[in-house]
Amino acid sequence: MGQRSFEAVVVPHLDAAFNYARWLAGNDADAEDVVQDAAVRAFRFFSSLRGEDARAWLLTIVRHAWYARLSSQRARAVSTEYDEMADPRPDESLGPEALVMQRQTVERVRRAVDQLPVDFREVIVLRELEGLSYKEIAAVVGIPTGTVMSRLARARERLLAMLDPALATGDAS
Amino acid sequence: MTCHELGRLIDPYVDDELGPDEAARFAEHVEQCEACRRRLDEREALGRLIRAVPYHRAPEHLRQSVMTSRRGAGPRRAIVWAAAAMIVIGLGSAAGFRVWRLSQATSAIADTIVARHVDAFTTGLISVPSSDQHTVKPWFQGKLDFSPPVWDLGAAGFPLLGGRVDTVNGRKVAALVYQRRLHMISVMIWPLDNRTAANDARTIRGFHERHWVEDGMSIWAVSDVNDSDLTEFVRAFRSAHP
Repeated sequence: MGQRSFEAVVVPHLDAAFNYARWLAGNDADAEDVVQDAAVRAFRFFSSLRGEDARAWLLTIVRHAWYARLSSQRARAVSTEYDEMADPRPDESLGPEALVMQRQTVERVRRAVDQLPVDFREVIVLRELEGLSYKEIAAVVGIPTGTVMSRLARARERLLAMLDPALATGDAS
Repeated sequence: MTCHELGRLIDPYVDDELGPDEAARFAEHVEQCEACRRRLDEREALGRLIRAVPYHRAPEHLRQSVMTSRRGAGPRRAIVWAAAAMIVIGLGSAAGFRVWRLSQATSAIADTIVARHVDAFTTGLISVPSSDQHTVKPWFQGKLDFSPPVWDLGAAGFPLLGGRVDTVNGRKVAALVYQRRLHMISVMIWPLDNRTAANDARTIRGFHERHWVEDGMSIWAVSDVNDSDLTEFVRAFRSAHP
């Protein structure tokens, strides 16, 4: 551990930390604050990081930082405004109609994920966007792996229902 | 197994969390069961849709402030950061200098990588043309003093075209070439030498570039594909570990 610096171990996972915080918080400003808080905590607890995966370790800290902030400002109204997210770059190989379709689809999916309850949203983000295993998600969120599996299943059923009622199988449980 | 029992395996199946026996049994059932196959297709289509949603990368100023632990966004945080900064300063202000020197070195190498990617179109992109990682990886044996990770990412939409040995700043490096539609993606790999920032993303003359560190290897990806495709590529490459 001695040779691994904070910079070398933690900074490579800042994108993951920010992406997770952004999905939890729903806007850039809060997400940045959460990651700043998390960095301070990570710095403080850095010596306690042993052999574990640094990314899962940092994401766990991000989650704690988010909940700590949430409970300290529960009185404050939750911001509902949508930050304009970076538009996905257009795919040059598509024609104008297909391009519009692609953009609309991505936007619909983003909104659907955003509308999931946070318990569902975070497992989807950790699994699909971060590629974490069930075991790693279980460690970050603090739930058994069986719960990770059932939350993912229910989150996906909800997304399918939201995105296209005709797609859903109706076998949600 | 009944369809109902199998229904519970569909998520761990798409998430690659089943043991080989269970996965095989599930795949066998799906072959024969139209309804389960449809559900599986839905799940996989949904996964692709979600992964197409733009990834929120940490803004540069946040990265900087975490690296230097100096910026404060509010009075309370200012105190916390001041404390953190004092620790950092206590450890030696050399750290700040190191960050600066690191970023200079990273820029220089990033430039070189783009140049090598462009040059390769005239000097020959590929010495070992193959989409098979089991052909390309062993080809590097005896040509390099390390063994680079090589993955065929055809399933993720980035077929491997092959590889070559290239030279970056006097060091022999592994270069892999992937394709995305009409675009080429170069990946350059060498053992980590701590001369560059561990994580980097930039755009140089219209080429997008990413750098990350994995298993002691410094890995650069460069291409003229759009930024979100390159992000997807990096994600596919990084999750290709068996």
